[in-house]
Amino acid sequence: MKTFDDLVFVALTWCPVLLTAQSGVSSGFVLHVQPFFQQQQVRLNEPMRTAAGDTLVLHMLRFYLCDFTFLNKGEVVFEEREGRHLVDLESENTQSLAFSHPAHRPFDAMAFTLGIDSATNVSGAMGGDLDPTKGMYWTWQSGYVNFKAEGFYEKCPTRQGAFQFHLGGYMPPFPAVRRIQIAATPGKNQQLQLDLTPFVDQVNWAKKHSIMSPGAETVRLSNVLATSFRLHAD
Amino acid sequence: MPISRFVALLLCAWVVSVGMRGHGNPVLLEYPAYWPKPRYDFSKNPLTREGIALGRFLFYDTALSRDSTVSCANCHLSFTAFTHVDHALSHGIEDRIGRRNSPALMNLAWAEQFMWDGAVNHLDMQALAPIAHATEMDHALEGVLQRLKQSPAYAARFEAAFGDGGITGERFLKALSQFELTLVSGNAKYDRVRMGTEQFTEQEQNGYRLFQANCAYCHVEPLFTHFGYEQNGLPLDTALMDFGRMSVTQNPADALKFKVPTLRNIEFSYPYMHDGRFPKLRDVMNHYTQTTALDRQVVLTPNEKVDLIAFLHTLTDRAFLFNPEFSFPRK
Repeated sequence: MKTFDDLVFVALTWCPVLLTAQSGVSSGFVLHVQPFFQQQQVRLNEPMRTAAGDTLVLHMLRFYLCDFTFLNKGEVVFEEREGRHLVDLESENTQSLAFSHPAHRPFDAMAFTLGIDSATNVSGAMGGDLDPTKGMYWTWQSGYVNFKAEGFYEKCPTRQGAFQFHLGGYMPPFPAVRRIQIAATPGKNQQLQLDLTPFVDQVNWAKKHSIMSPGAETVRLSNVLATSFRLHAD
Repeated sequence: MPISRFVALLLCAWVVSVGMRGHGNPVLLEYPAYWPKPRYDFSKNPLTREGIALGRFLFYDTALSRDSTVSCANCHLSFTAFTHVDHALSHGIEDRIGRRNSPALMNLAWAEQFMWDGAVNHLDMQALAPIAHATEMDHALEGVLQRLKQSPAYAARFEAAFGDGGITGERFLKALSQFELTLVSGNAKYDRVRMGTEQFTEQEQNGYRLFQANCAYCHVEPLFTHFGYEQNGLPLDTALMDFGRMSVTQNPADALKFKVPTLRNIEFSYPYMHDGRFPKLRDVMNHYTQTTALDRQVVLTPNEKVDLIAFLHTLTDRAFLFNPEFSFPRK
């Protein structure tokens, strides 16, 4: 009986500690997320040059990266539980994602989701990075915005060259959430880079410079973004 | 077992149990035994006396609107089935007119999509739409919360409901849901007849027969809706250009489909249809007997229309309409 008591005691007293280790931030591994444009780090409100020499300025860049999985030779070595990370270039600390994945356990690939999955989209009010006050929830039609970029482009035929791309949508026929897997190379410091150059190149600036709802163009541009991530190690 | 271990075990059990049930005094949703189970997931937002009270204060608070003139209750009056009676199209701040009739609010725990076109996919998220809409409250959730954070009274109410005074978007929305979930209307004469404690009059019984033959396909008992979307033959209002469900699905087959509303308390929820185009129930009857756009023609004599309306009046739930727990909260 004493053994049973001890087992119950150990299970109950250590249960919260184990849960904290799983879900909390540990010293295991920190992934830095950094958007690039034309091989230059993106900084909000600073002019950037396209290949043609035109000026482009981003005033806002936010996107969700979720449910990270680290793999080695095809085997999962670490899987995040319900990880929802809003990367917001206005808040530098959001660009550092901490995982409890042990630093000594190697991985050669990483998978993650760009955007919010459909189950989460229909699960009601949530907190943390999913709180609607984060400015990433559509009010007129339910659903999270997966990727939001706003700014100025001198080739954009709008008042003051303004553009807004709010990419989201979880319902067929226009689901915009994307699962992405990329290869990793060994290195102490891992940086997840998002190259926005293909996105800017693929936008039809003459016709579609504002997207505020799900649709075919959202799907097309989400596909472009899904192939624009890479891991850089040093 | 040593006393220290016993205390630690009790502490852990308490922590686990509090984490599971949330904060506050639990409240069970009451509804007629013959109804189906609610679809709302109460495990993610357990009803508590304190959460419901907070949601009620929020529902009646004009601080939700940009100029602090309009609350949820402006378009959803308790004694008119929580709709904007006498207004075909609801108005928001600065007398701005919207393009839809405010829906009656009741039995929301059984619904999974909201608004006339189903654009909102969860009760928790519904309030975001009227708060942000330019013709309703024209505000931002962040601005609403900033106002609430300046109120010591709200800090106390959030603490009572959630265990601390933190005011977040999630808590705000869940508290509003808690109050709205309690808006259960299940004590009409129809319910009492179903439960065997009353009987229909001869006229009401004939109206019930006509209802079952002509209306029950969409207005499914006992909640009097199938919660889906239908094109009921209403021509497009070219001033409003509201295509309903198609605006959500982008599917042309959904053009002019609108959510089938409940018929409960219909006596008090006039005017009718998504744009409030019919002020009287007899106008609704005339529409359904005159339209040729339905799959099956509805044929009713003038006397049958009267009988059908008599049955619809048995869906009036005065205990719900005049429930003091749903009215403006006294400080």
